[in-house]
Amino acid sequence: MSPLWLLADYTYQPFVKAAPLWDYWYLLLLPLCLAIAIVYKSIRCDSMSRVPRQALELFAFIIVVMVLAAGALAVLVNILS
Amino acid sequence: MSRAHDTNPVPAPLVALAAWLLPGSGYLLIGQRARALTISITILLLFVLGLLIGGVKVVDPPASYTPNPLKILFDKPWFVGQILAGPITLVTVAVGKDSDDRVASSSFHPSHARVNEIGTLYTAVAGMLNLLAIIDSTYRAGRSGGNP
Repeated sequence: MSPLWLLADYTYQPFVKAAPLWDYWYLLLLPLCLAIAIVYKSIRCDSMSRVPRQALELFAFIIVVMVLAAGALAVLVNILS
Repeated sequence: MSRAHDTNPVPAPLVALAAWLLPGSGYLLIGQRARALTISITILLLFVLGLLIGGVKVVDPPASYTPNPLKILFDKPWFVGQILAGPITLVTVAVGKDSDDRVASSSFHPSHARVNEIGTLYTAVAGMLNLLAIIDSTYRAGRSGGNP
């Protein structure tokens, strides 16, 4: 968590200052994975009509695997510490 | 595959250059409009999102001149990915550099920690996805006899 007194007078200016997303950085994984899935499937699919469904499937797959990997690593860290 | 793609007269190197200059435009040259629009919008949106998250300063270029090109790779490895997104990276560098000369209140602020990392990641991934698009569109142009 960011100290509130540091953020009290922080005003976001697009492109000039960083977005105040310090506490929600993990949610930024979603648009990144969606973009990767869309571009990858746009390149791989012969027919563009199949891209939306296949990109959504790939997006869901990436998220599920990353959540599982994060869970496994968290368990490993707890065991080792 | 579209019918236009089969009779493509555009040389493959030109397709590669166009694909770097504007993400997705390589597909436009070989007649694949839907693929071009999808890839162009996605890559540009990802790059701009990276700038919105971390600020313009997430695109951090290497020093202007160094006798050892490998030093650039080790000093600023993310810039290699970012430059693959096309001239938009150079424009971003120019905008960020100009701001250094202005007064502090109007200049761009470098971000730090996770926000900086994520902004850098967004812009670099946009560039690497564009590399995939460059390779694929060039391959499709070459395969269809695009060379004159």
